[in-house]
Amino acid sequence: MFHGLNTTATALTSQRLRMDVISSNMANVDTTRGKLVDGEWVPYTRKQVVLQQKDPGFSSFLNIAMNNSSSPGQGVKVGKIVKDDTPFDMVYDPEHADANEDGYVAMPNVDPLREMVDLMSATRSYEANVTVFNASKGMMMKALEIGK
Amino acid sequence: MEITGVSSLNSVLKQMDISTPAEAQGKFSTFLKDSINKVNNAQIESDKVTEKMINGENVDLHTVMITSQKASILLDTTIQVRNKAVEAYQEIMRMQV
Repeated sequence: MFHGLNTTATALTSQRLRMDVISSNMANVDTTRGKLVDGEWVPYTRKQVVLQQKDPGFSSFLNIAMNNSSSPGQGVKVGKIVKDDTPFDMVYDPEHADANEDGYVAMPNVDPLREMVDLMSATRSYEANVTVFNASKGMMMKALEIGK
Repeated sequence: MEITGVSSLNSVLKQMDISTPAEAQGKFSTFLKDSINKVNNAQIESDKVTEKMINGENVDLHTVMITSQKASILLDTTIQVRNKAVEAYQEIMRMQV
């Protein structure tokens, strides 16, 4: 009965996680000490979520095999959080504590503008899914009005 | 899609494997009980998630809202079924004998 609502819930959860990752990227936009590698500080590396279709599960496969029809799908999930491998920005700042001999500092490969675009995208997706949820609920409430 | 006419009540009852009114009533009462249990479970689930949220556990806000909405829809459905049942009862009670 609530299949559509459950599907929407998975999308909302995924978008929330995406938002958390964007928050982390934005917070660490100037972090020069992300992790220690061989006694040297490496800047923060931008993180990205990879969305993946949720596994249909056994009952769904059985249903497809028995009824010869396709399933409506189970929703979405975050498959993994991957690191962005683009090179770090080298900024000339000899005063900086983490500057190398030439006076350059490796800054995280986070682009605030790109993060803002991702942020808007996550927010809008969330809103769109809330709209789907409300429409789904509206349909059920209308069904209860049948025969009134 | 093929559209067939409505078959007579007897054949419907035969299909449902019901022979006596008592049996039909028994089936209906267990069905009703199961449904009400389902609604109750939905309410309990909603309460649990809400409590988790209040206690500061890691629960998504939309999970709380969605479970409460599910409980609300199920309750509304139950109320509609109850209204229909009471309506039918009153209709019969108003019958002139």
